[in-house]
Amino acid sequence: MADEVRRWRGDMEAYYIYTAGVAGDRFLREIRDNGRLMGTYCPRCDVIYLPPRIYCETCFSELNEWEEVPNKGVIDAITVAYVNDKGERLPQPLVWALVRFPGARGGLVHFVSLPEEDVREGMEVEVVYRRTGRREAAITDILYFKPV
Amino acid sequence: MRRVAVIGAGMTLFRRRLLETGKEMCYQASQMALAEAGIELTDVDAVVTGSAPDAFDGVHMKGEYLSDGAGGVGRPYMRVFTGGGTGCFSAIAGWWHVASGLADICLVVNEEKMSSCHPHPQTAFGHIWDPILERPLKPNLIWIFAMEMNRYMTAHNIKKEDIARVAVKNKRNAVDHPCAQLADPNITVEDVLDSEVLAWPVQRLDISPPSDGASALVLASEDIARRYSETPVWISGVGWCIDSTMWTNRDLYFPEYVARAAKMAYGMAKVDDPRRDVDVVEPYDPFDYKELHHLEGLLLCDKGEAPKLTREGVTERDGELPTCPSGGLLGVGNPIAATMGIKVGEIYWQLAGKAGKRQVPGSPQLGVCQAWGDLMQFSSVIVMRA
Repeated sequence: MADEVRRWRGDMEAYYIYTAGVAGDRFLREIRDNGRLMGTYCPRCDVIYLPPRIYCETCFSELNEWEEVPNKGVIDAITVAYVNDKGERLPQPLVWALVRFPGARGGLVHFVSLPEEDVREGMEVEVVYRRTGRREAAITDILYFKPV
Repeated sequence: MRRVAVIGAGMTLFRRRLLETGKEMCYQASQMALAEAGIELTDVDAVVTGSAPDAFDGVHMKGEYLSDGAGGVGRPYMRVFTGGGTGCFSAIAGWWHVASGLADICLVVNEEKMSSCHPHPQTAFGHIWDPILERPLKPNLIWIFAMEMNRYMTAHNIKKEDIARVAVKNKRNAVDHPCAQLADPNITVEDVLDSEVLAWPVQRLDISPPSDGASALVLASEDIARRYSETPVWISGVGWCIDSTMWTNRDLYFPEYVARAAKMAYGMAKVDDPRRDVDVVEPYDPFDYKELHHLEGLLLCDKGEAPKLTREGVTERDGELPTCPSGGLLGVGNPIAATMGIKVGEIYWQLAGKAGKRQVPGSPQLGVCQAWGDLMQFSSVIVMRA
């Protein structure tokens, strides 16, 4: 009984339906429909944003020009995860990388299809998409990066 | 302290669900405010953002999340949050950035993306209640307002129809606001009284809707303001005050914390007689009775007198004390913090003579805006001069 007084159980039961947004909508459609990465170009600062934005965070120009970014990039940072988002041991370690793409400001994070001992910073990788028809306009339409 | 002026304002549409992300809404509102001020982002020294609980957008550390859309990257940047009170409080935070000499130009950006939260934003509101003493009773947040409204009506013997007039006035005023979500040119007192009862005496049309939206202001020091603007609107006084979260401690019929915040702002602005001097007012009106409650809290009439002023037309746009000429939260919408656009933004536009179809007659010189929030315990007040 003492324990019953000490605590009260509750939960924050909300769930969320997020808005992809003006830039996000096009970005995800391009992945689903065309299997390509599209960024937005700021002519004033001469940069391509990936992921795309409708504004330049530096000069606040409105960005309307879309540019295709190559599917091949370079690994900039790596981690090897042994626990998942709940802190549980993963059956196999997962290699996770930040990949930058030529000419683009920003980058993408995703898994890498290599054993941890074979992954290096500076390694060239390319995007592997889910099969056409199985894509759902989500970041998970990208399965992983694989070495070129 | 240095003098501070508003030299630009902007706001997005207020809608139940917008196609833009929170960051994109921030960008749109900011760009409008910067364009009106005639400056660019590179001219901005510091950025303040305001947003209500993270649980609405479903993103923790919303201030950080919104920073690139709000123009904060690479600058001194902070988020403030006082529930609905953020609607004026972030502008106060922007004011102290400039008044202190820390920044010459401060961009203030408020945002709310309530459409993310399901099954309804009420799910997030529910967690404002005390988790031990109140949450186990599974209350809807409306219940607390219903009690406050009832206490106000009982203390002063106010008829429900006199409160409903506020909803009618504001939803009709909102017809002239290009961002409005719930404008209605034909709404009547009977419509309000016939609408669904949610928690007596609160009915569907007594309440403002949940919304997505963003708003922005450009605040500038005196020399900058005079260089860039022909119609700077000065922030003459600011005030804010919080009462206990133990809301059961106070008599709900009068918001004493609003009166304290108002006195602080009037004192700084050297307004000795607000009833005589205030030309236009934007009190926080998420419920129709709150406009009345807040007119009294702002000391613009006696306790219990606001319904009479409303009935006599004093608070109409062409009345002696135009109240919520924007259309307010009831008519334009209630994206919590982003209501800055219809509170601080509206008083700026009114005093600058830029309110268009909403312009109150007689070139108003002194305006007051007010916001209210947390667990109906906090208020922020700004006094502005043309």
